[in-house]
Amino acid sequence: MSEIVINVKNVTKDFRIYHEKRNSVYEVITGYFNKRKYYERLRVLDNISFDVKKGEMFGIVGRNGMGKTTLLRLMAGIYKPDSGSIEVNGSIIPFLGLGAGFQVEMTARSNVILYGKLLGFSKKKIKEKVDEIIKFAELEKFQDTKLKNFSSGMYARLAFSTAVQVDPEIILMDEVLSVGDIGFQKKSHDTFLSFKKRGKSIVLVTHDLNAIRDNCDRAMFLNNGKIHTMGEPQKVIDAYTNYFSSP
Amino acid sequence: MISKELWRKRSLIWDFATSDLKIRYRNSVLGFVWTFLEPLLLLAVLYVVFTNIIKSSIEFFPLYLLLGLIMWNMFTRGTQIALNSILSRAGVLTQIHIPNEIPPISAAFTSLIMLTFEMIVFGIFMIAFQFSPPQTIIVLPLIIGLEFILILGIALPLSVLNIRFRDVQFIWGVIIQVGFFITPIFYKIQILPPNVQKIIAFNPMINILNFAHNAALYGVLPTTKEVIMTVGITFLIFAIGYGIFRKLSNKIIEEL
Repeated sequence: MSEIVINVKNVTKDFRIYHEKRNSVYEVITGYFNKRKYYERLRVLDNISFDVKKGEMFGIVGRNGMGKTTLLRLMAGIYKPDSGSIEVNGSIIPFLGLGAGFQVEMTARSNVILYGKLLGFSKKKIKEKVDEIIKFAELEKFQDTKLKNFSSGMYARLAFSTAVQVDPEIILMDEVLSVGDIGFQKKSHDTFLSFKKRGKSIVLVTHDLNAIRDNCDRAMFLNNGKIHTMGEPQKVIDAYTNYFSSP
Repeated sequence: MISKELWRKRSLIWDFATSDLKIRYRNSVLGFVWTFLEPLLLLAVLYVVFTNIIKSSIEFFPLYLLLGLIMWNMFTRGTQIALNSILSRAGVLTQIHIPNEIPPISAAFTSLIMLTFEMIVFGIFMIAFQFSPPQTIIVLPLIIGLEFILILGIALPLSVLNIRFRDVQFIWGVIIQVGFFITPIFYKIQILPPNVQKIIAFNPMINILNFAHNAALYGVLPTTKEVIMTVGITFLIFAIGYGIFRKLSNKIIEEL
């Protein structure tokens, strides 16, 4: 239980907040002579250090725009930190936005194959699993329908079902447990609990404090780019709710 | 380290390239037939224009023109699809980590696949004109390979530069327009005055097209010196282009 799968060390990340976005060559050249500062730096993450252990469910809470998603993207390797390091041991899968890379003009079946490959499946493996995935999503009848004719719930179910089949060692989740109708929500919830039982590590970003309390082993309250509180879920939830009640 | 990951996910390159093609011809009645019909019709129109209105003394002129156009089309398509390749896949790249090289490389492959179809059309034209090609035509794939590397060397930096500067696409559009006229597609480079030839000698497509024309139509292979020169320039462009790409691509996802 003590093996570390994600080690985040002194990570700092800045973003530029543009007052005027210089998007053309002309603007860059004129801007060169006009030294007025056209952006300011916003420190989204300031010297953050923590680790996630194997088999652990780690919750992250915080107000909107406080760097939670940025932190997940850094862990997933989508963004690079400005300083500090992030070490990841094991395959990682980000559930940031579901269905990234879905082509609405293609059928559900071919989208499952493409999405599965984006998530790291081999071609052979995804082709073996495609029926299982469509069955899990309860979309057998629509497997040859183009995705543009899907409802948003069906779309999300398809994406979710594909993603859970990847069977990674580390899962990053950004508010995606509430996909589909109640029946499907229960199914996805059970799936995640089974992931945890099988010793997978899960990093969960959510505003659902009950999910943190019931499922997480540890949690972290991220505020203004710094770790406000970290440790027992109940302690973190108290700190988070206190933050809102006290002015 | 990055190239290792690129190798592991190489099958995505093909998936992106083919899904681009599939979407290109969606909802059309003739569907896949358009991959043949589109170049066929275009080439027919250009053939009529250039053989009837502008008389040319070039031997096998229709085939000369067709081959030049096909090779030039590959260059134009590859670079222009690549230009928007990262931007148009912003949805994927901000959610899933895949090597940033994949979209521009797959754009180059899209252009290669389309060239293959057009080469079949070229074969049909050769039969129609009862032209039996010289043996030297077998080096044509190598010449296309060289052009492919050139496209990569331009596609990679363009795909990231276009994110920082959105007017790169307009500038590149103009360069493509000019390039059409300073590349020997419907004329031979020798008709230009020597000093003009010197000025436009930086254009690597000139040699590539010369090689293709000579090998496929006239049974002439390039000299060793010409080959070394052209391969050298092509790889230099690739090295510089990939260098620019690597320098800029690290933080490019945040700009999307």
